[in-house]
Amino acid sequence: MATATEAPRGALAHPDVGSYQQVNDDVLKILGRPGRGWWILFGLASLGLVVFAGSWANQIINGIGLSGLNAPVGWGAYITTFVFWVGIAHSGTLISAILFLFRAPWRQSVYRLAEAMTVFAVMTAGLFPLIHLGRVWHAYWLIPYPNSRFLWPNFKSPLVWDVFAVTTYFTVSAVFFYLGSIPDLAAARDHARGLRKKFYSVVSMGWRGTDSEWHHFGKAYIFLAALATPLVLSVHSVVSWDFAMGIVPGWHATIFAPYFVAGAIFSGVAMVITLAVPMRKFFGLEVYLTNKHFDALAKLCLLTSMIVLYAYLTEFFMAWYSGEPAERGLFWNRVSGDYWWATWTMLTCNGLVPILLWFKRVRRSISALFVISIFVNIGMWFERFVIIVTSLAHEYEPFAWGMYRPSVTEMGIVLGSFGWFCFWFLLFTRLLPPVAIAELKEVLPAPLRSRSRKEAVR
Amino acid sequence: MSGGIKRRDFLRVVGASGAGATMFGCSTDNVEKLIPYVVPPEEITPGVATWYASVCGECSAGCGTWVRTREGRAVKIEGNPAHPISGGALCARGHSALQGLYNPDRLAGPMLRNGDGFEAVSWEDAEAQLAERLGAGGGNVLLVTGNAGGALGHLFDRFVEVAGGTRVEYEALSEAPLREAARLAFGRDVVPSYDFEAARFVVSFGADFLETWLSPTAYGRGFARTSAIDPMGSKGRFVFVAPRLSLTGQNADEWFPIQAGSEAAVALAMAAVIAGDGADAGPYGELLGSFDVAAAANASAISAEDIGDLARRFVAEGPGLALGPGVSGQHRGATGANLAVLVLNYVAGNVDRSVHVGQPDQAAASHPYASLESAIASMQARDVSVALVHGTNPAYSLPPAAGFADAFAAVPFKVSFASALDETAHLADLVLPDTHSLESWGDSHPRPGIHAVQQPVMRPVPLFDARSAGDVLLAAADALGQNLGAQDFQGYVRARWQEMGLAGSANFEDFWRDALRHGVVRSEVTADEAPLELLPPDPGVGFGTPALDGDQDGLALIVYPSSRFGDGRQANRSWMQELPDPVSKITWHSWVELHPATAERLGLREGDVVRVSSPHGQLELPVWPYAGVREDIAAIAMGAGHTSYGRFADGNGVNPMALLPAETEQPSGALVQLATRVTVEPTGEWRKLASIHGSGHTQEDRNIAPAIALADIGHAEEEHGQHELAELQEVGGFVPVSTGGEPADFPLPGARHGEYGDPENTPRWAMAIDLDKCTGCSACVTACQAENNVPTVGEEQLLMGRDIHWMRIENYFETVDASHAGPVDVRFTPMLCQHCGNAPCESVCPVFAAYHTPEGLNAQVYNRCVGTRYCANNCPYKVRVFNWFEYSDVPEPLNWQYNPDVTVRGEGIMEKCTFCVQRIREVQNRSVIEGQAIADGEIVPACQQSCPAEAIVFGNIRDPDSRVAQVTANERSYRVLDELINTQPAVTYQRKVTFHEPAAAGH
Repeated sequence: MATATEAPRGALAHPDVGSYQQVNDDVLKILGRPGRGWWILFGLASLGLVVFAGSWANQIINGIGLSGLNAPVGWGAYITTFVFWVGIAHSGTLISAILFLFRAPWRQSVYRLAEAMTVFAVMTAGLFPLIHLGRVWHAYWLIPYPNSRFLWPNFKSPLVWDVFAVTTYFTVSAVFFYLGSIPDLAAARDHARGLRKKFYSVVSMGWRGTDSEWHHFGKAYIFLAALATPLVLSVHSVVSWDFAMGIVPGWHATIFAPYFVAGAIFSGVAMVITLAVPMRKFFGLEVYLTNKHFDALAKLCLLTSMIVLYAYLTEFFMAWYSGEPAERGLFWNRVSGDYWWATWTMLTCNGLVPILLWFKRVRRSISALFVISIFVNIGMWFERFVIIVTSLAHEYEPFAWGMYRPSVTEMGIVLGSFGWFCFWFLLFTRLLPPVAIAELKEVLPAPLRSRSRKEAVR
Repeated sequence: MSGGIKRRDFLRVVGASGAGATMFGCSTDNVEKLIPYVVPPEEITPGVATWYASVCGECSAGCGTWVRTREGRAVKIEGNPAHPISGGALCARGHSALQGLYNPDRLAGPMLRNGDGFEAVSWEDAEAQLAERLGAGGGNVLLVTGNAGGALGHLFDRFVEVAGGTRVEYEALSEAPLREAARLAFGRDVVPSYDFEAARFVVSFGADFLETWLSPTAYGRGFARTSAIDPMGSKGRFVFVAPRLSLTGQNADEWFPIQAGSEAAVALAMAAVIAGDGADAGPYGELLGSFDVAAAANASAISAEDIGDLARRFVAEGPGLALGPGVSGQHRGATGANLAVLVLNYVAGNVDRSVHVGQPDQAAASHPYASLESAIASMQARDVSVALVHGTNPAYSLPPAAGFADAFAAVPFKVSFASALDETAHLADLVLPDTHSLESWGDSHPRPGIHAVQQPVMRPVPLFDARSAGDVLLAAADALGQNLGAQDFQGYVRARWQEMGLAGSANFEDFWRDALRHGVVRSEVTADEAPLELLPPDPGVGFGTPALDGDQDGLALIVYPSSRFGDGRQANRSWMQELPDPVSKITWHSWVELHPATAERLGLREGDVVRVSSPHGQLELPVWPYAGVREDIAAIAMGAGHTSYGRFADGNGVNPMALLPAETEQPSGALVQLATRVTVEPTGEWRKLASIHGSGHTQEDRNIAPAIALADIGHAEEEHGQHELAELQEVGGFVPVSTGGEPADFPLPGARHGEYGDPENTPRWAMAIDLDKCTGCSACVTACQAENNVPTVGEEQLLMGRDIHWMRIENYFETVDASHAGPVDVRFTPMLCQHCGNAPCESVCPVFAAYHTPEGLNAQVYNRCVGTRYCANNCPYKVRVFNWFEYSDVPEPLNWQYNPDVTVRGEGIMEKCTFCVQRIREVQNRSVIEGQAIADGEIVPACQQSCPAEAIVFGNIRDPDSRVAQVTANERSYRVLDELINTQPAVTYQRKVTFHEPAAAGH
């Protein structure tokens, strides 16, 4: 919701977009007939979804023992993947809400995509605490609901906080996502025919684009943005407390909340890049997602990467400085023990590879960014794996140290969750305008009668 | 179990007496009905346990037991406190008898050979077959039995008399050399008994008296009493002289890692030093006078100074007690080695003080291999027409070179009384499944003057149509036209007791009822009038270090009895398979122990599968590097590698007897076990060891099991203040709630998770574990498993790290050095739920499944658990275990053993030690009904009940007079990790006391 006075900056953002009509045409054509590529991807995603559902069903029927979890490593790939997806979910709200409030001019092109990613990532993440339960059929006991025995959940448990954090985040980000899409849905309605028209008519809630509608929309949007902003910080802080509230060496650290928030934004931005690069290519959005946008994303990536690297080093320093044998032993074990490869993967992908982003040439190279973003995605998954698994495997009681190796079922569910995510995301690219039409138009120079289009953009 | 008779004991005895009386009338037949009973049997009250006194049949020690039955099913075995052998305790193998009783692989009825397999037959047909074959046998009957004393042994002897033939007794774990040595030394054909409590300086030449040697439960108790520090601050010393540090050796204060087979040299050298100092050596004076101590030092690889020093301390710090080599040291000169140790005892003045060589009160029954060897020869020569095997499994426990299988096959008709198909029964023509010892009559006379009746505690498990071997033999004798004086074996036992005249002048009926009720009868033993004198040396017995077969550059092979399987008979029980070996902590499979330096020399890592070859055979098994063996030793446990012994035994591990020759030791006739050298070569394969230890048996500076030097006792407080943490606290850092575990401290400030009741009336349950007493024997682990329906998970799950025991014995090897004689320091820490006052598990459970009870217990509500496992992650002691699958779903009828007072847990939930809350509630309920306060010591958790070392004390720590409060108020007390993370555990440990200064790390 930038104001028209910022038009010159917006003009710089999209120098090759000529008119409002071009925006409509370019974006809404994506909603047309899907090509073969889309169907192949959708088929793969559906296959992943089947693997995901099948593995989970099998695990429910035969027991959580199908995972590779054990004593002492009671949490493994499932919680790792939970935190991974929650982290992914963070950049969406960051880009759409916080950057909106800060009036960052480059967000318009990517925020819809980022928001959709957020919603689907939370949907994916929310399943994992259920998947990892020994008795998933009693999962509703974590929800405070009135019952005849006055049994409430334990509000001291971080896992209960988690329930609130994740459900709140999902609700707010879904509403925010939907609300922001309404004007574009109306645009799609106007463009569509037949059954699609009916669908868009319903979901656009009769939007007509009147002044008063825009006025209310603007107010609602800014309030929701303000509401969502603290969530960006709080949700991942709560997720970090799942660990920090425990007494496990390697978990019990005050740095965890900021460390996790930075890590979440880091991974989320990387995932936005990972998704935006192919979309830009397949859907011909080059004029909307320019080098400048990627440059901005890369800078955000670089900043958070530095914060995360600093957090790693702080953890190691504090372990040494504490003089505590369990803490020292754990961190030494991280870099040199059974899981050294995971730790070094994490340090390389999250700390070393993003150093390349200091170079402008790298930031401006879409393919380099794409490769780096993949590294970061992998690195951030391993970060959570390292935090969770190595800490549990090497706790206070040396006699009870152990090893954990993910099982086939776990890998099926973890990889299948990408299928579940992509399933929704691919549907999104076909059903909702993946680029915010209305906001893009706001940053384009208003079409003036006195000038030709070419002059307007000059 | 100290003090007078407690109400709990009294109730039990009443239960047992009532049962005994009715048992006499044989009215338990209708026990096996579903409740509610229409016509209830007199002794059964649904929901109330009935206890029977009986005798454990798992080894020859003859521990008296109390068996808890519920609704007619035996659910738990405990030691009979009135019995002088068990003294109320029981070993792990004793507990596992229940899994023998309910073993799913027991035979459903008699089996007759049909081609390669068996077919089921009725008892009538089977007994008719037996009678017919015996009748046609023409007096060539061979009866091979295990160690069967008392009435059954008597019946066996009578039976072979009437059937015409011979009886051979054979036990794989034979003490024949010791017995022979006692005969040669003192002219008494008897296994000596040892009084640990009378000794202050124990030297064991490889006798594993805490594991399998003679009477482990009784000796474990005696050893703990003498070796643990007493209130006066004095502590008995224990020196282990053997090439391999067994569990018993790990409990020693010093280890003399002698050359394999050099026990006689060291013992005689010690005796020579003592005699040289002026002690009387009787007829051995000449031999000892000319004994070359330097040569002995050379033979044993221990310096003459060390031997001399040990000998002098043995006398000076005495009374001493020297114990002869055990089964693992049975080499070609084993009798000489045992004799040397007896001579040492004599010279040091221990005979009649700590070593008692009583008069044999039973017909001498030695069961060496030699008698079976001649039986094998006669079977081979087709001199045997009918062979009967009872209570022993020679097809498994003999080296294949003995040729038992071939000889046995040559017998026209072979009968086995095995209750489950074992390797020997597998070769038989007719299998007549015997009842389990918990289902049958019998008696035991473990020591002169001690007699016990083994009464059946339940009707034979109806799934298995078994008959007691005694009954079958009586019937067979009847069929031969010879009545042996009783209709059934019960009557036979009674008649024997009547004959023995134990009742004296009392009415026999009353006496018998009393015997059944108390489980033990003592008779007068005539004491020796004159002190025992040594007989002159027998020139036929040498004391040299025996030669070993095989490649002289190879490693000497030690084959030692397993403390879990004995000679292999307990291998068909999942409890025993999954019980971590007390030394290696490995479960389910076999391993070979090599010194780490040897392993390195051979290029082997832990888990490398190697081929161990001797001149007699070869085996493949993984390596476990162990600093507790000499560098020239390879050691393998007996008892594994069954081929036909049920689903839990078959295919797990290897049988090391395959590496041994079939050779007898002279003159005792025992099988030579330390006979050969082996070569070890890698196969290139590797396997993960199914072990429960995570850190290679080191504490990693964590202070889990600290120790204190004896000299520091009394000064511990000052040292405590110098802890790094104290410095941190001084500058305002982390401040824990400081408590020494005093009663007044409870509830602890900060322990607000539970609503503690009023301090006057609500107890705070607590436990004290004395690590100076704990021997690591692991009886508590199996007792807990039996009491609390703890299932087993199997090798595959265990390899994944899913051990589900509620209790584990951690063993940390602080000082283990096989290169020279010196101190040894292995710390045992029984780790169970610490019932923290400030429990990390409770606050993280989202659904209050883990919560704090007003009595201070960390309760786990199974029904409420959703399985997040956060509690286990957050437990610093790692004592919470998770049901990854439906582990409790065990094959019928193993589930009959389940304790009805304890929930059987399903899949997906967390569980852990409850401090045996069902026992607490039972006593509390009874105290309410009877209107009496609960006495201290009345509530006894299963682990404490079972502990032979009496290391565990449980009670209400708020009561300053309780034993647990008094034991806790000890300068040795500490709580694991408490000063680090402020968990305020209810379990207090008392540090191990060492003679040497323990290393700083474990301080």
